[in-house]
Amino acid sequence: MTKPTISSDWLAGCAGCHMSLLDIDERILQVLELAELRSTPITDLKEPDAAGVDVGVLEGGISNSYNEEVAHKMRSRCKTLVALGDCAVFGGVPAMRNFFTLEETLRRAYIETPSTDESGKIPSDPELAVPTKVRAVSDVAKVDVFVPGCPPDADVIFYVLSELAQGRKPELKDGLLHWH
Amino acid sequence: MVNITIDGKQVSVAEGTTVLRAAEQAGVAIPTLCDHKELAPYGGCRLCLVEVEGARTLQPSCTLPVTPNMIVHTATEKVKDARKFVLSLIFSERNHFCMYCQVSGGDCELQNSAYAEGMTHWPLQPNYTPFSVDASNPYFVIDNNRCILCRRCVRACGELVGNFTLGIEERGANSYLVADLGGPIGESSCVSCGTCVQVCPTGAIIDRQSAYNGREKDTTKVKTICTRCSIGCGLEVLTRDNRVVRIDGDWDAEINQGLLCAAGRFEPLINDKDRITTALLAGKDGQKACTVDTALNEITKQIKSGESIAALITDSASLEELSLFSQIFSKSGKTQLGTISGQGFANMRSTPYHAELSTLAEVSQADCIITIGADLSRDHQVAGFMVKRQLPAGTKLIMLADPKNAFAANADLVLDTSKALVPAVKELIQGISDETSSVYRLVKNAGSIGFILGELPNEAEIDAFGKSFNELLDALQKSGKSSRVIHLNGGANGSSVSAFGLDGSVDVKDAKTVLLFQGEETIDQKLAQQLAAIPNLFVIGTYSSALSARAKVVLPVRAWWETAGNYVNIECTVQQSTPVTQAADGVSSMQEILAALGKLQGLDLKIEWQNTLGIPSRP
Repeated sequence: MTKPTISSDWLAGCAGCHMSLLDIDERILQVLELAELRSTPITDLKEPDAAGVDVGVLEGGISNSYNEEVAHKMRSRCKTLVALGDCAVFGGVPAMRNFFTLEETLRRAYIETPSTDESGKIPSDPELAVPTKVRAVSDVAKVDVFVPGCPPDADVIFYVLSELAQGRKPELKDGLLHWH
Repeated sequence: MVNITIDGKQVSVAEGTTVLRAAEQAGVAIPTLCDHKELAPYGGCRLCLVEVEGARTLQPSCTLPVTPNMIVHTATEKVKDARKFVLSLIFSERNHFCMYCQVSGGDCELQNSAYAEGMTHWPLQPNYTPFSVDASNPYFVIDNNRCILCRRCVRACGELVGNFTLGIEERGANSYLVADLGGPIGESSCVSCGTCVQVCPTGAIIDRQSAYNGREKDTTKVKTICTRCSIGCGLEVLTRDNRVVRIDGDWDAEINQGLLCAAGRFEPLINDKDRITTALLAGKDGQKACTVDTALNEITKQIKSGESIAALITDSASLEELSLFSQIFSKSGKTQLGTISGQGFANMRSTPYHAELSTLAEVSQADCIITIGADLSRDHQVAGFMVKRQLPAGTKLIMLADPKNAFAANADLVLDTSKALVPAVKELIQGISDETSSVYRLVKNAGSIGFILGELPNEAEIDAFGKSFNELLDALQKSGKSSRVIHLNGGANGSSVSAFGLDGSVDVKDAKTVLLFQGEETIDQKLAQQLAAIPNLFVIGTYSSALSARAKVVLPVRAWWETAGNYVNIECTVQQSTPVTQAADGVSSMQEILAALGKLQGLDLKIEWQNTLGIPSRP
């Protein structure tokens, strides 16, 4: 029997959840014995195989049209989709901007910051992704496993990965369930 | 008694008990958010829904009274689904992102409820409508974005404090918390008692001082008493790393029932004063640090010199300290003794009144409350809250006070005492039997009268007042009304100073030497001016001030939260304060300093107060 395959990617997040993944330390070897790691944002292969993977992991929320595209691609190429971390599960810190209009947030980021000189302007190249309200991954794709936490503890990530690698659906409760 | 079954457990409870309280007795936990044991059931959050056999829909257990043979299920799939749904709706309504909230990680009842239901995510996304944040109060911040509209704060403000400042504006999901008719809470009728902060289940009302200073699980909780005034409120103090993080009212304390005022809850945490950390001795080139022993020897030398001295002590000193103080400095032609506040609360003791000493709870629950010489909006505020919260139920309030008294706005009748007190008492006596008077209208249906006595006239008038007050009590008794009396007594041990002979008036104007056992007390302007002219000033205090800067000897003492001691509260019950943090090295308690002074003078001191006070034993 071939090992289950895992792919991951990050969207509107801070990469902290992937850092927390590395925090499982030498236990990553146990995960690799059980499963095969395919594409991740921190290895050479960047996209999940067209043939599909067993588990897709997404960190970060959906903040623009590109994030949405990546989420859809991951969803279409994986059997089990995992939303990893508070941004992917709830929208998280980037979702703070939702309390303002998009116009206000862009102006704040590109024109009003103290480090911006007079030529500051909001980028409008058609090549660029279109910013949207920040949403949880589950708002654009069906999510099978929610792993909240900012970031999720390494122990939680190890538990989730080892359960998935052994073909079980992880159930987060009691000590493993934390949102922050 | 009514027998009901909850999750298969049989329990017998009093008629009128709610299913939620019955479940508590049966040992079945039902999650709630709007419920609070000190507040009336409200039924606002719907988290406590349960399945009752025979009922068409799920029922809120917090407002549902038990009925005979009721069978309740609290853990069925239907109930669990409903709970998750209720929580999902609450989370979707406002900004409940935990990762940027102060109470996340154990102190938030909303988050804890979601964890208990095993919620890994929100099925509904928030709607991201921004609500206002009100940071106009010096002690706490109201963030409507974190509010779950449980109305605990609104209910506490009305039901417990009787202040009715907080309310809800708008309807449904647009509802938000307002002070008075809108406008910043800092400019409202809010008295900053902080009860709303203590009952808030989420991060919607947060205390500025304790915010981001650690979660409750990181703190140590110590129960002690407040020594800011004579009420002696019960406190629950949260400390971390030998630092006070937050002060909560102790719900279990009978005297204050969890209530506190700004002076007890918030002010001790405002760190705007300089602590005296070392003993100081004034020399030719100003004050220099010295050892505690040197300072004690200097003071002893002065006492032994036989020159006339005035010794003043704070009435917030413990019974132990008052006892030692009164033994070291015996009243004589050359020595004057007294308290810093100078208020002689002996008054009523020397003219005993014909009423039994009562409790704050009993007095506030009388049908008609009469205050004499008390401004409950300024001092002894917790007593004021207990009075105000009874008024909506029809309790009458008559105040014998200066009409400028801010509490007068709550009164049904104010009898002006700005010129003299006795005529106002006489007016009361006449009113009891005069059917045309406003006094008669207010007291005619009252079976019980609660008296709150505050600042009484000076020694010259006290006898006349005592006589007329007793006539008043007799007149009430004749008309079949019972009287309950409570006496507010200045500082924490204000009711005890007279027993130790410390209630005489002290004139420091002509004194050459003044020993000021100041502790934490602030000196009023008049006394400060007089003291500024004293050539030999000795300050035993907690905080440095203009006075300590010009003292001959300065000795540091501990703050109240660093000291243990006994205090008599307004109900004449002896209460013990427990130290919550440790004082810095070299900072002694006033008790230790007094004991050392006694030893240096070769006195055989004995700490004693039971006999001196003659405290009535209470059943």
